[in-house]
Amino acid sequence: MLKPTPVLLHKTGPQVAQELYACIGCNECLLACPALAEPITIDVLNRETVSSTISAPVARFAYACYQCGACVAPCPVGLHRDAMMMWLKVRLLRTGSESGSA
Amino acid sequence: MHKNGPKGYPWLFFYAGRSWVAGLIVTLIVIVSAGVFYVWYSPFSNDASPDSLAGYTYAIVGTLCLILAAILYSWRRRSRNKRIPGRLNAALNWHIFLAIIGLALLLMHSFGNLNPRTGTYALYGMIALTVSGFVGRMLDRLMPRLIANEVDKALTMQGKDRIEDISQEIQAIVIHSTEKLQGFSAAPSRTSTSFVSLPGSTSNGIPFDSSRSLHTPWDLAYISLEETPQELNREAAQYRFIPDKKSALARPEALMPGAEEQMSELKKVQRAMQREKFYRYIIRYWRVVHISLALLTVALTIWHLVYAAQLLIPTFIH
Repeated sequence: MLKPTPVLLHKTGPQVAQELYACIGCNECLLACPALAEPITIDVLNRETVSSTISAPVARFAYACYQCGACVAPCPVGLHRDAMMMWLKVRLLRTGSESGSA
Repeated sequence: MHKNGPKGYPWLFFYAGRSWVAGLIVTLIVIVSAGVFYVWYSPFSNDASPDSLAGYTYAIVGTLCLILAAILYSWRRRSRNKRIPGRLNAALNWHIFLAIIGLALLLMHSFGNLNPRTGTYALYGMIALTVSGFVGRMLDRLMPRLIANEVDKALTMQGKDRIEDISQEIQAIVIHSTEKLQGFSAAPSRTSTSFVSLPGSTSNGIPFDSSRSLHTPWDLAYISLEETPQELNREAAQYRFIPDKKSALARPEALMPGAEEQMSELKKVQRAMQREKFYRYIIRYWRVVHISLALLTVALTIWHLVYAAQLLIPTFIH
């Protein structure tokens, strides 16, 4: 339940891309997620994490995700889905500030 | 980067899934039914107390709801059977609604008797537990948004590490300034009009070039007490390396123009990362507080049940 020194949550864009490339699509992270209210598949989430378009269900998932880290432990290849979700959130945040300033 | 679709990361976000709507409906039905019965029962009954039949009913159903709230969610999290994405979210919604139902029923079970006894302490524990749950849900909404704001500062627009970016900038400034400094000290000034040296001597270890001539005749009579051009132009860029002690140029960063801004940016990013870590701690340790309160409430409830049993068992025996 507790780790003495939590690592920083965020990763850079290249690191996120690298982790997405390493994802084997087993769906374990989504099965362990208490914030996911809609049936989203892992390939859709992976694709939209880096693609130019973010669909409404994936955006809702990003809004609802509260970074509990439940998705990290079940990953069989040791990826950090919470960091990928944070990348998605920052992308959404920046699009909001872009549209606000435009 | 993002052409169309949802934009921004709103603070106020609400999405009601099927399980949330079902949970809300059940909660309203149970609480309203129990409340109507409470309002109808309390004025007309001679036995409106926690140890009446109605009181026991409220207590048993309320305790069952709280036990279900605790067990169902924990069991669902650990279960390996029939796992579907979204089911754990439904379990979390039921965890919340069952806790609300349980607390409402146990408040009715007290019938307003809040004497300083075991039951009251157990009730306070349940109130604290439920309130901590609500606070936690608010933190779950707040903290990721604060973290995203800090991460936004720690990453460049291209998604690269800003610290690395700033470090490279500082390195470039240091190299540039070092080259400039070397050029300043080593290269002889071409515009110098008072280059004085004796034949055969050396300057800064460089052998004297005898082909050079003295451009300006030198004599003590030319020495003036007026300020020299160097003294007048002390603030000029080429003299920034010999400042007065009181001058702003005496600060170490003045030797590296532009480095101060970069260092300030670096500090901002470091502070953002510290805040990110702090918010992460809050998310993590709130769960510890919630679980600790749950264990405390269980202990207080057991204490209350033992105390109530000691009072009630002799009554039933006689």
